[in-house]
Amino acid sequence: MPDLNESRASLQETMTFLGAIASGLEEAIGESANSISYLAGKRLGMQLSSGIEKTGDIELALISVRKVLLDNGCLWHFEAFKTHDRPEMVQPSDDGQDINLVFRDCMIRQSLFTFGHHQKGSLCNMMFGFFSGALQNIMGHDSTLEILHAGENACYKRLIIHSGENGARKAVTQ
Amino acid sequence: MQELEIAVHEQACRGCQMCVDVCPTKVFEFDEEKRLCVVKHAEDCIACLSCAYICPSGAITHANYHVVKNFYRDLAFCKKMEKTI
Repeated sequence: MPDLNESRASLQETMTFLGAIASGLEEAIGESANSISYLAGKRLGMQLSSGIEKTGDIELALISVRKVLLDNGCLWHFEAFKTHDRPEMVQPSDDGQDINLVFRDCMIRQSLFTFGHHQKGSLCNMMFGFFSGALQNIMGHDSTLEILHAGENACYKRLIIHSGENGARKAVTQ
Repeated sequence: MQELEIAVHEQACRGCQMCVDVCPTKVFEFDEEKRLCVVKHAEDCIACLSCAYICPSGAITHANYHVVKNFYRDLAFCKKMEKTI
């Protein structure tokens, strides 16, 4: 327990610092801060997931991403979620497939609340980047993590894997 | 953990439909007859608590949900206040 308290305290201090940087970036350069955070997250996702087993199955890929997060002490717990009006957990979309995710414990949300920053800002884009980088390694496809709802106790997001014909073309042109 | 519970208290609800608008998973429905909001799909609730925060009359309550792990500034103070970290 003392170890856990110590690591939580370190995480808190780091996230507080990161929250302040993100807030300052948003004020100084506006929406460009989103791109910077996205790229930082993507690089982190690619680095932390390097060498992990590859799969084409979206649910197995998410298990791998969860493992990467846990192994690296990231407080970003998420789970797949299916509402009553959705026939399947994973559904085909225009250029691939999508799945809805619920994020409960999130170090970014807690960091934002501690200082009264807005949700859906550049730090949230860092998570989008992280997933994008990790899933690029694991599935070999580009992906989008769209924020459907940013709540006080949980966030609801849609993960789109661009594995279709249009998605493959998009990945090549990037 | 037990199944999540969500309830709209009829006597408190004023039928403003803010919960219907804010809910991302369409848990609520507006009952035209009673002119009140009701829980239609409790199984779809993700416990984001946005409805409870936005409801002007505090008519919505949740039970058996996962409370996120909060950050606290002072470990010694938290210990004294018996707050979990």
